[in-house]
Amino acid sequence: MILALESSCDETAVAAFDPRHGVAGEWIHSQMALHERHGGVVPDLATREHLRHFGPLIERARTEVEFGLVAEVAVTHGPGLAACLAIGVAAGKSLGLALHVPVTGVNHLRAHAWSPFIGVHAEAPGQFEGRLDTLLPHLGLIVSGGNTLLFILDAGRRITTLAGTRDDAAGEALDKGAKLLGLGYPGGPLIEQLALNGRADAFDFPRGIGRRDELDFSFSGLKTSLRYLLEKMPMEQIQARLADLCASYQQAVVDALARKAGLALERGEGGFRSLGLSGGVANNRVLRMSLDRLAREQGVAFLPAAPRHTGDNAGMIAFSAWADRDNPAKEQGMGLRINPGLTLA
Amino acid sequence: MSILEQLRAGVITTSAEAMQALAVELALVLPDDTTLALHGDLGVGKTTFVQGLARGLGITEPVTSPTFTLYTLHRGPRHLLAHLDAYRLTDAAQLDALMLDDFLISPYCLAIEWPENIAARLPSNALHLDLGITADGRHPIRLR
Repeated sequence: MILALESSCDETAVAAFDPRHGVAGEWIHSQMALHERHGGVVPDLATREHLRHFGPLIERARTEVEFGLVAEVAVTHGPGLAACLAIGVAAGKSLGLALHVPVTGVNHLRAHAWSPFIGVHAEAPGQFEGRLDTLLPHLGLIVSGGNTLLFILDAGRRITTLAGTRDDAAGEALDKGAKLLGLGYPGGPLIEQLALNGRADAFDFPRGIGRRDELDFSFSGLKTSLRYLLEKMPMEQIQARLADLCASYQQAVVDALARKAGLALERGEGGFRSLGLSGGVANNRVLRMSLDRLAREQGVAFLPAAPRHTGDNAGMIAFSAWADRDNPAKEQGMGLRINPGLTLA
Repeated sequence: MSILEQLRAGVITTSAEAMQALAVELALVLPDDTTLALHGDLGVGKTTFVQGLARGLGITEPVTSPTFTLYTLHRGPRHLLAHLDAYRLTDAAQLDALMLDDFLISPYCLAIEWPENIAARLPSNALHLDLGITADGRHPIRLR
């Protein structure tokens, strides 16, 4: 069994994963309510909260799973907020020392990359390796507040980055759009909720696609165009058309993501067998539906991460410590260091 | 006129490329361990400017907005470029949790977006640039 810790940003999380059975338990403390009051994650508060909550969460885990079965401790060592990562790595090393088991550093982004496969594993743990082979090569899209990445997980289980964002991440575009619209934090879910009552074609925002034949994303032009539009609209009009603004803005983000993912699938010339969606923004229903449709059109399996594995969570850390055990850049041992700027591959 | 004199007098750029070209020129004359405070609202081109700085420092990897992890580090052939986004910081003391000092290795250039949020912790010799945007989409830039 692998025991995993995650503390890269504002969730303190612990999980246990047994390759023979699946995720054995997940314990999480979200600081969302705390940071909501501040309009975003406050790094020093987040650090103190991790320090406060890891102990009690690990104690709870100990009452629910047999720590004697733990063969490895996995901990997120990047990317993320430096001091938050440091608390997790220190806690992970302590656990490793106490349980006399090795400690492995997990790349948070690679854990997102692997997270759509947690559900595949859960369906039939004993047949996972064979089923995984039928789903590779895999095109993955990670969409979160800090990242927008298209990557390939090839038949040899190697991860290669295909494209990223040139400026803002998709989640960031939603958060900053929400800020311009005078909404609160977290902006993405608020926009999604308001968009339910709006028309997605009411306003024509740029799709941030840059050159048609390029895979990289760009969202800063979208943010700027919303800013220009709002400057020209009287306050009453903005209020009256808030739902339409949210729906149209969200659609522009979703379209940009779906178009680039579609382009990558087409370039794969039928080579891809599955399309994954993960990261915090993967919970957005319009995005899920859009990619589901795309996958069907292209004849590939659609693998969205389960909602509880989209945001920051330790389940995906534990799972990827196992599934991604051949990561060539893997770091292990008591010398494990934090790396706030770690990249996918 | 040197690039610093030009910027002190104020320059108006009309495209992202022009803004980046300006940043490239500035990067070439910056003394080691300079802190560059980039003032300006959402959408004025702060990240675009930092992309130009990166190019000037010979950094080839993409430079994107660091809003989420608050800062990113880019290794150039000689310099380290640290790109800090203080948008979410409300108090200079919050910088400690970023452990930025542990990662700033000389010679470096530290570019800071939303520097007013951590004004108390900016070095006295920091260079302050004001970036703006006009109604017709041009970007004025001026060195204080």
